[in-house]
Amino acid sequence: MNRMLFWGMTILSIAVAVCTAFGQEDMELVDNGAFDRPQRPPAIFEHDAHNEMAGLDDCAECHHLYDESGQKLEGESSEDQMCADCHELKDVGSKPGLRKAFHNNCKGCHVAQEKGPIACAQCHVR
Amino acid sequence: MHALYQFVAGPLAWAAFIVFLGGLLYRLIRLLILVRNREPFISSYMSWRYGLRSIVHWLTPFGTVRWRTMPVLTVVTFVFHLFLLITPIFLLSHIVLWDEAWGLTWWALPDVLADIMCAIVIACCVFFAVRRSTQPEVRFVTDSSDYLILLLTAAPFLTGFVAYHQWTEGAWMTILHMFSGELMLALLPFTRLGHMLLGWLTRAYMGSEFGGVRHARDW
Amino acid sequence: MAETDKDSTKSEELDEGIEVGVRRLTPERIQTVINSVLGAETGARFKAYIQTCIHCGLCSDACHFYLSNDKDPRFSPVGKVKQTIWPMIQAKGRVDAAFIRRAAQIAHTECNLCKRCVQYCPFGIDIAYMMSMVRRIIHKLGVTPLYLQDTAHSHAATMNQMWVKGDEWIDTLQWQEDEAREEIPELRIPLEKEGADIMYSVIAPEPKFQAQLIYQAAVIMHTAGVNWTMPASMGWDNSDMAMFSGDNEIMGRVKRAHFETAARLKVKKIVMGECGHAFRSVYDMGNRWLGWAMPPIPIVHAIEFYHDLLKSGRIRIARKYDKPVTLHDPCNVVRGGGLHEMARYVVSQICEQLVEMHPNREHNYCCAAGGGVINCGPPYKNKRMAGNRVKAEQLFDAKSRGAETLIAPCHNCHSGLHDIVHHYEIGLDIKFFGDIIYECMEKPENP
Repeated sequence: MNRMLFWGMTILSIAVAVCTAFGQEDMELVDNGAFDRPQRPPAIFEHDAHNEMAGLDDCAECHHLYDESGQKLEGESSEDQMCADCHELKDVGSKPGLRKAFHNNCKGCHVAQEKGPIACAQCHVR
Repeated sequence: MHALYQFVAGPLAWAAFIVFLGGLLYRLIRLLILVRNREPFISSYMSWRYGLRSIVHWLTPFGTVRWRTMPVLTVVTFVFHLFLLITPIFLLSHIVLWDEAWGLTWWALPDVLADIMCAIVIACCVFFAVRRSTQPEVRFVTDSSDYLILLLTAAPFLTGFVAYHQWTEGAWMTILHMFSGELMLALLPFTRLGHMLLGWLTRAYMGSEFGGVRHARDW
Repeated sequence: MAETDKDSTKSEELDEGIEVGVRRLTPERIQTVINSVLGAETGARFKAYIQTCIHCGLCSDACHFYLSNDKDPRFSPVGKVKQTIWPMIQAKGRVDAAFIRRAAQIAHTECNLCKRCVQYCPFGIDIAYMMSMVRRIIHKLGVTPLYLQDTAHSHAATMNQMWVKGDEWIDTLQWQEDEAREEIPELRIPLEKEGADIMYSVIAPEPKFQAQLIYQAAVIMHTAGVNWTMPASMGWDNSDMAMFSGDNEIMGRVKRAHFETAARLKVKKIVMGECGHAFRSVYDMGNRWLGWAMPPIPIVHAIEFYHDLLKSGRIRIARKYDKPVTLHDPCNVVRGGGLHEMARYVVSQICEQLVEMHPNREHNYCCAAGGGVINCGPPYKNKRMAGNRVKAEQLFDAKSRGAETLIAPCHNCHSGLHDIVHHYEIGLDIKFFGDIIYECMEKPENP
């Protein structure tokens, strides 16, 4: 029993460590790989530091999910997906294109909260 | 900073666009009323054919005797006016804002190209300022207002250039950039920058007179 | 140049028209007149010109005064506006008498209203028109140069420019008819022939001191078999110095008399002698003042008339004029009427060889005499000579390429170029088209 517990704890620890190492390292830049020849450098974004400073607990605040009819699905989130999985490069109906989605998501909130960067150069730092 | 940004990017931008377009319209209507009340004969000489013929010649680089007699200034003048119009309209950052505000979007210049064009506009302004202060025939008819409208024109490009290259921290250069652009737009109809509107009319009238009455080229 | 400037300043002091007028000015009068003219007599054009001018100075190189005075910016077209109209507007008419004195000199003796600057301004701003408005103000202030004012008085009193009395006019025509009948016995100068095709009108200097031009015209008319007439009444003079002195009311009276005389004689058209400013007055300014967009009776300038006669073969050239000629394009009929190609056709028909001056046609330099400048008289002759060195250079260049005779189909140009040719010792013979046509044409055999 003790032996099983030991191995179990060890495996769990390794799993947690591996998961932390590979999955939970705080990001520094927004991935702009989906853009064809992006004109500006990717936006600076330190995920955990940002959320800590902003006091954000609800993932769906940013990682939102909408249904086919354009209704926001309350209580559901999309942190397992890339933004580009839903948002195409161009607007589709009421669904903003990827660039606009990023801008709305970040700058839109900053403007509403009157906190955080708003000018181009504040995020797209060279 | 946020409140200022939102004011400059929101209500002030609206105000600038409205004053710009409304001001131009006001100036045009005032002028047309003046034509009707004082010089109705103008309309009897105005000719689309001759007016446009003259405008086309003057819009063509080296298309007039005058343009051919001063090649450097001609190139600078054409490049300046062309880039002055094209750069802000087809600048990606501007399109992004219009897209987010009104959902309007169109083809954008690559940033690198727009950057060069912006620098050229600034260089042209410097050229004009130097020409104004060194050429005797220009200096003689220059007063502070001439430098002021040149500065008014150069300011949005200067601030935009600095903001793009991020030589300053924070949002204030961008705010200054937006403000200077709005100032230029709002003042344009009420300063000699209004030649943007009136220049076509004076040229068209002279073209019409030269074509229809004087039977001579005015280019 | 500095010496010439000094000379001209000294001589300008002799202009009693300006000096006496200036002494009578009061600040109130200056202000009232300026504001009434700029307020009530200008409109959209003036306003647009002031508001559009970007002060770029591109008009400068158009002006012969500027080019000839070593590019002194005071002589540039916009420089003249800066010294006259801008301060008037800025100070709302509160300028002093010394300013008005200088404005009178600028508008009357440093601008020929030639409109070449219009072709150099990207916006087509008509600075000649603005200088006319300055002259209008000067006129209303009573500061017009004396010699010019005298001709305007003559127009007002006699309806002609040279104080020619009614009987002197008819006398002169009959004298020239007599002279011409020595050469062609059946020649007539038909007076008051109602229903003739053409009324021939001249400027008053012709009967006054160039009567042979009427003789030559009569020979050409007779030979071509034209059904023509000349009026025996007032209205025979097509010239108009009131137009240049800013006395628009007199200009209107003079032009009305001219057109009404043609209407009374029931002619189909008016043919006029080789004069530029007179063409401007009947084709451009006088008719507009009277409310006609274009002349109420077709106006044919001598250049066009000779062109038509030669083209239709109604006059034939016996032997072309053999000396190489150069051709001056008068502003008022070329920039003002587009007759440059017709003039060249006439030259090609009557002369062996044309040596073009450069620039030419509608870009030609003015003679510096037109626009009433030569009519401001001797006090300004030195300034006029210094102010047209470029024309002298142009003429000298044509001469160096072989030209011996200068054709100037305009009275003002003729006199102005005569002065230039002598002042700069260029040595060109100056002729009208009429002189050469008369000399070279086939005439009826003398029985």
